[in-house]
Amino acid sequence: MSTSTGDRNPPQDTSSGPGGSASSQTSNGGYNTQRTGQGAQYSDELDNSEDLVSEVEEEEMPEETEEEYQTKQAVLKASLPFVHQYGWTKKAIVAGAESLGMPSMVHGMFPRGGAELVFYFYEESNKELESFLKQKVTELKEKDEKIKTGPFIHDAIETRLRMIIPYIDKWPQAMAIQTLPQNAVQSWTNLSRVVDDIWFYAGDKSNDFNWYTKRGSLAAVYKSTEIYLIQDRSEDYTDTWNFLENRLEDVVSAGHLARNLQETNTVLSEGAKGFCVMVSQVPTIPKPTEPNRNDK
Amino acid sequence: MSIRRISQRAKDEKTRKLLSRIIRVDQAGELGADRIYAGQIAVLGNTPVGPIIQEMKEQEQEHLETFNKLIVEKRVRPTALLPLWNIAGFALGAGTALLGKEGAMACTVAVESVIGEHYNSQIRDLMEDDPEKHKELIKKLSKFRDDELHHHDTGLEHDAEKAPMYDALSQVIKVGCIGAIWLSERI
Repeated sequence: MSTSTGDRNPPQDTSSGPGGSASSQTSNGGYNTQRTGQGAQYSDELDNSEDLVSEVEEEEMPEETEEEYQTKQAVLKASLPFVHQYGWTKKAIVAGAESLGMPSMVHGMFPRGGAELVFYFYEESNKELESFLKQKVTELKEKDEKIKTGPFIHDAIETRLRMIIPYIDKWPQAMAIQTLPQNAVQSWTNLSRVVDDIWFYAGDKSNDFNWYTKRGSLAAVYKSTEIYLIQDRSEDYTDTWNFLENRLEDVVSAGHLARNLQETNTVLSEGAKGFCVMVSQVPTIPKPTEPNRNDK
Repeated sequence: MSIRRISQRAKDEKTRKLLSRIIRVDQAGELGADRIYAGQIAVLGNTPVGPIIQEMKEQEQEHLETFNKLIVEKRVRPTALLPLWNIAGFALGAGTALLGKEGAMACTVAVESVIGEHYNSQIRDLMEDDPEKHKELIKKLSKFRDDELHHHDTGLEHDAEKAPMYDALSQVIKVGCIGAIWLSERI
């Protein structure tokens, strides 16, 4: 598992060059804390003392600046409408850039091509899901109601999957792009974000290994429902939501099964112990005395 | 050399990663320490040194509860190796306790010295990042570090250095702890 998996993630930097982003761990096990005297001198000249200034060697790839990030986000947002025509590809990004009046060379900012568009869409959908979840929690608090985990999770997954529906004609291509090995880590991170957000807002307080089992099982439910969704032809995808409900029930019954097994195990082992105690007492039973045959 | 300004976004991401790493590894460490003492009590519980170990275990339990709360509060992923540290800690505690009271104390001294240094380097990292923002956490870590050093001294007082193969034992345990810390920070 990469270090960023499972922790809440803001949108990832998409410009990772040869040196990797500066926010990754340096080999000394600490963090990049080169705030030397020289850096302070430069920061005075540039008159931006609030911004963090770091000196970078020529060989290290610097992180993208805020301006670069905003530009990329704008281009990707403008490219989404072209997905129906060109799919999740560089062509769509070029079309999006040109629609904003930028030269087509801008696609060079996106080395991973169509995958960048997929990740952008995924991350934006995740943000939308998070605000939906926050709002739901606030509403329930105002009405002073407790969160019912089952329906809450069902609604959350349904909401998130419905965001795919406008692009469902090309979504199978997006899913295929995500399974490519070079995109696998980012896809895993995105999926982890979804399940972590859902569990967090549902009120999960686990701090041990349950943290993993809960998220793992929910990720499996989400993924299998997503796969069902792309081939569903029912009215308003009701078959998919029924499928989702059944998968969630499976998870709940698996939890009950685990608990029952544990209880059965306890009962059985207590029984076995009792049996052993009983057997160990057999030698202490006095032998029945034989009637004296010589008594006549 | 060129100067690039890191965006606020990236700076926040750095801080978040630092905090997650610190809280994750500290929770694992306190669980491990708690289990080590539990193992020692399983063997030496009825001896005169039992109550001393029991007291140290209770302090570790307090530390563990603090980090359990922080994991939920700060939305940190706990390490996936928790079940492993659970078993390994108990085994280490019981194993060294079987070498006698001196063995148990030697284990305590080795573990606590590694943990003390580790807390210190974490406090340094937090101060470098943002002393104001992390004031609460720095205070907590400082208190815990002082507790751990107190345990370390208690171990020395109770004849840790008289343990069989003290130097070798101490080294092996220290290396093991450092490895466990490295793993828990990442996995």
